[in-house]
Amino acid sequence: MSPYPPLPPIAKWLPVVALAWFVPGGGHFLLKKTYRGAILCGCTVIMFLLGLTMRGYMFEPTTGDLLTTIIYVGGFIANISNGVLYIVARMFGYSQPDIAGHTVDYGTKFLVAAGLFNILAVVDAFEIAAGRKD
Amino acid sequence: MKINLSHFEATLLFALFTSAVLGVVTKKTDAERLKYGLTSFGWFAATVFGLGWLMYFGHR
Repeated sequence: MSPYPPLPPIAKWLPVVALAWFVPGGGHFLLKKTYRGAILCGCTVIMFLLGLTMRGYMFEPTTGDLLTTIIYVGGFIANISNGVLYIVARMFGYSQPDIAGHTVDYGTKFLVAAGLFNILAVVDAFEIAAGRKD
Repeated sequence: MKINLSHFEATLLFALFTSAVLGVVTKKTDAERLKYGLTSFGWFAATVFGLGWLMYFGHR
């Protein structure tokens, strides 16, 4: 038996999940969880902007050996998880080479971490919308 | 604009934001969130100091 209550209709949680992905913290704002949304939004946006100003590399979905595939496809998924931040950065032509150096390297990790924050925010928003947590 | 953060600054910023997000999404009450966030940040910072000293002695 599943420990979770049955999933509510898709119309109840899909808009929340979609908004949560597109705008960091947006799902929480839609669900009137303003403070939590503000913290998630702030952390994600600041991390992303720090990553940009450190000239972090944005991953392209490159395949090859297993490690290359995991790193580049995983990094790309994390990057696009930033939603509108990723789209706007790309629209304005942000593109940096994958070069050595600790600042750029941290920038790359910050961009990925911002995306992972937003994935956590999306899952949290889904759980709230589905009635699994407050 | 380009910023250059030291290893220490970058890791502490990473720790700060990661702790805040983990606290918000994993706990149910505000008190639990605050406690978890501070504990998590403390462990991140302790790990940074520990690994820093480990590398310092490892390179001597």
